Amino acid sequence: MLRASLYIIVCSARNRARMRLRRLREPRYLIGAVVGVAYLYFSLFGRLRGARSNAARDAARARRGGAAPGLSAVPGLVASAPAFTGMALLFIATVSWLAPFDSGLLDFSEAETQFLFPAPVSRRQLLMHRLLRSQIGLLFGAVVIGLAVPSASGSDRLWLGIAMWFLLVTGKVYYTGVSLARARIRAASGRERRLAWAAPSVVLAAAAIVATALTRAFLAAPPSGLRDVVRLVSQVALQPLPHVVLWPFMALTRPMFTASPAAYLTALAGSAAVLAAAIVWVLRSDEAFHDAADDAARRRGPQAQGQRAVSYRARATGWTLAPTGRPEGAFAWKAAMQTLRVVGKRGLARIAALVVALTVVATSAGREGPAATLAAFAITAAIFTILMAPQVIRIDIRQDLQHLELLKTWPVKASAVVRGELLWPGILITTVAWTMIAVATTLSGTVLSRTPVGWRVGIGMAIAIVAPALVFAQLTVHNAVALMFPAWVPLGNQRARGLDAMGQRLIMLGATWLLLIVMALPGAIAGGIVWFALGRFFGPAALIPAAVACCAIIAVEILLATEAVGPIYERLDVMAVERVE
Amino acid sequence: MAIAALHFGRTYATDGGTFTAVADLSFEVGAGEIVGLIGPNGAGKTTTLRSLAGILRPTSGHVRIDGHDLIADPLEAKRRLAFMPDEPHLFEYLTVDEHLRLVARLYGVADFERRAAALIDELELKGKERSLPGELSRGMRQKVVIACGLVREATTLLFDEPLTGLDPLGIRRMRETIVARGRAGAAILLSSHLLHLVEEICTRVIIMDRGNKIADGTFEELRSRADLAEAGSNLEQIFLRVTGRNNPAGQP
Repeated sequence: MLRASLYIIVCSARNRARMRLRRLREPRYLIGAVVGVAYLYFSLFGRLRGARSNAARDAARARRGGAAPGLSAVPGLVASAPAFTGMALLFIATVSWLAPFDSGLLDFSEAETQFLFPAPVSRRQLLMHRLLRSQIGLLFGAVVIGLAVPSASGSDRLWLGIAMWFLLVTGKVYYTGVSLARARIRAASGRERRLAWAAPSVVLAAAAIVATALTRAFLAAPPSGLRDVVRLVSQVALQPLPHVVLWPFMALTRPMFTASPAAYLTALAGSAAVLAAAIVWVLRSDEAFHDAADDAARRRGPQAQGQRAVSYRARATGWTLAPTGRPEGAFAWKAAMQTLRVVGKRGLARIAALVVALTVVATSAGREGPAATLAAFAITAAIFTILMAPQVIRIDIRQDLQHLELLKTWPVKASAVVRGELLWPGILITTVAWTMIAVATTLSGTVLSRTPVGWRVGIGMAIAIVAPALVFAQLTVHNAVALMFPAWVPLGNQRARGLDAMGQRLIMLGATWLLLIVMALPGAIAGGIVWFALGRFFGPAALIPAAVACCAIIAVEILLATEAVGPIYERLDVMAVERVE
Repeated sequence: MAIAALHFGRTYATDGGTFTAVADLSFEVGAGEIVGLIGPNGAGKTTTLRSLAGILRPTSGHVRIDGHDLIADPLEAKRRLAFMPDEPHLFEYLTVDEHLRLVARLYGVADFERRAAALIDELELKGKERSLPGELSRGMRQKVVIACGLVREATTLLFDEPLTGLDPLGIRRMRETIVARGRAGAAILLSSHLLHLVEEICTRVIIMDRGNKIADGTFEELRSRADLAEAGSNLEQIFLRVTGRNNPAGQP
C-alpha cells in the first residue's frame, strides 16, 4: 500500500504542477503568477534580506545565552517559552474536544473513496495513506514558517522548520484521533463508548490540574506585572504534577527554544516520541474509522473538492416568500434563508442580546475599564464591518456563480438579478455596522472624553448614514468585478491554490479598492462641499446633511452601476466560470 | 412553432483552438409534440438543450421560443421555458417547498398553492416539503428539479435524461407526467439514452452525431427511409445504423 500511496501522491503532485505550468500560457494566469511571485519575494525574501543583519546580531546574542531583543525585554521569557507554549497547546487540545475542530485527515476525495475503500486495504493503511498525502501541505507550512522567522543562518531555519513539521504533523494526527474518538463515543456498544471517553477524560484532567495549579499560584501571589506572570508560569510548569501532564505539550515546542545542537536533538527526540504516541493512539482507535470518514464525507456533501463545507440546518425561519413582488425581494429572501439556515433566528437574537447587555453593563460601570474597552472594540468592529465585511461576506453573485446555470434560466432582468444579489448581504452588514456604531456612539465618551457630546453624536450619525452607501458600493464593485472576470473569482467557499491564484487575488483586491475609491470620490466631494457650506453655521449638526449628500450620490452611482453591469451578466457564459482545480 | 432552432451552432474554446459541439442545427418542435433528441456521447445533445434553455449563448444562428428570440427577448422566451437538467441543481439551503415558492415568485405563478400541492402528490414528494436537498436521495432531488419545472405553466419543456436516479415507480410516473404535459399542448424536447423510452413516448425523433443532425422524423418516416429500410423495425436498430455503430469491427 505504501508504494500505491506514494504513486498516487507523486502522480497527483506531478500532474497538478504540469496543469499549473500549462495554464500559464493564458495571460490571466501568467500575470497572476508574476504578481504572486513578486509578492512572495518582496514580502518574504526581500524582508528577510533586510532583516538579516539584525537577526544575525540577535542570534549571536542568543548563542551567548542571552535572548533576542524583543523577548529580552522581559527577563526569563525565553526560558519559560516551552512552558507558555505547552500550556497554550494544552488549552487548544482541550478545546478541540468541545469545539468541532477537524483535521481534514479523514476527508477522502471522491476518487479515493471509490478506488481505495472497496480495495483490499486495511483502515490503518488508509489512514497512513492520508497522513502521507497531507505531508506536502505540512512540509510547505513548515518551510514557510522556517523562512518567515528572521534568522542569521540557514541551519537555524532548517531546525525551526523540522521542529515545526513535528508540531504540525502531531496536531493533524491528534485532531484525527479526536474525530475518531467522537465517532466512537456515538457507538452503540457501551464498552466502545467508555474506551472513547478515556482520551478526552485524560486531556480534561490534565487541563484541570494545570488550571488549578495556576489559579493557586496567582491567588497566592497576585502578579504585579508581566515579569511576575512569567515567573509564576515557570514555577507552575516545574511543579511535579503539572510538569508531568504538560510534558508532551512542552516537548513539542521545546526544540524551537534550544541554544545548542545537542539540546536541539534531545528535544527533538521528545517531539518524535509524542508524535509516535499520537500515531499509535489513532491507529488503535481505527475501529471508528468508517463512521468518522462517513461523517467527513457527509459534511463535505455534494460540494466540489477544494470547497469548505457549510452545514445547513432545516430550521423554521418564520419568513415565507410572498407569491408576488419584485424579483429583487426573492433574491434577498433566498440569501436570508442561507444565513438563517446557518445561524438561526435564536442565534442572532442571542448575539443581539449579548451586545445590548454588554453595552448596558459597560455604561453603568462608569467611564473606565469595561466601558472604554467595549467602546474601543465597537469602534474597531464598526470600521472593520464597513470596510472589510463586504469583501469577506460573499453571499451574493460571488457565491451564486456556482448556480449560474440555474440563474440563467430564470426570466429576470439582469440588473434586477444584480440588485437582488446585493440586497441581503448589504442589509446584514449594514445592520451589524449600525449596531456597532450605536454602541460606539453610546460609549464614545470613555475614549473621546475631550470631544463634546454634540460632535460625538454628529460623527456617529454621519457614519451611520454613510455606512450603507459604502457597504453597497463595495458589494457592487465586488460583484461587478466577479461578473466581468468570473474566472478570477473563487466561487463560494472555494480556495484556489497556487502562486498564480494568489497573484490573481492580489490584483483583484487592488482593482476593487481602486474602483471603490473612484466610486466614493464624488460623494465625498459633495459631502465636503455641504460641510464647508453649513459647518460654520450649524456645527456638528451639519455633518448629517453632508453625510446625506454623500450617501445620495453614492446611491445613484450604485443604481447606475447595477444597470451597467446587467448586460455583462446577460453576456456571461457559464463556460467562463471556472471550477476550482 | 414553440421551439425553433435556426442554423444554431455552438463552439467552445480549447487549449489548441476551438471545438464545435453543435454545427448549423435547425429544427422545430410544435405545440403538443414530444420530440426525442438522441445521439451517442459527445453528439451535442446537452449543449443543444442548455442553449435552448438560455444557459449557453449560441455562437451562431438563432433560437426562438414561442416566437421570442432567446438573445433579443430573453425574458419572454425564458418565461415560457422549463428546463429539467440531468444533474439536479438545487440550493443546498432551501427546502423543497421553498424551491417551489422561489420559482413561483420568479415566474409569477398565480395559483401556486394548488399547483404545488398537486405536484407534490404527483411526484411523490409528500412529507419531504421541509427537507433540504442534502437530506434527499439523488432520485428525490431529481423530482424536485422536475417539480420546479412543472410548477409554472410553461409551454416548452426541455428534459435532459429525466429518468436518471428514479426508481421503477418513479420512472413510470415520470413517463405519464411527460405524456400528460404533451397531450395538454406543451412542446417537449427530451434527451435520453433510453431508446425504449423515446420510442414509447415520443412522437418524433432527432438523431445527432458529432454536433450534426443526421436524422429527423417520425418513426414511420425513419423506417421508410431508403437507407434505413434494412436497419430493422425498432429505434435502437435505426439509431445504430444511422450513427454507423451497428458494425463494431468497422467493416464495410
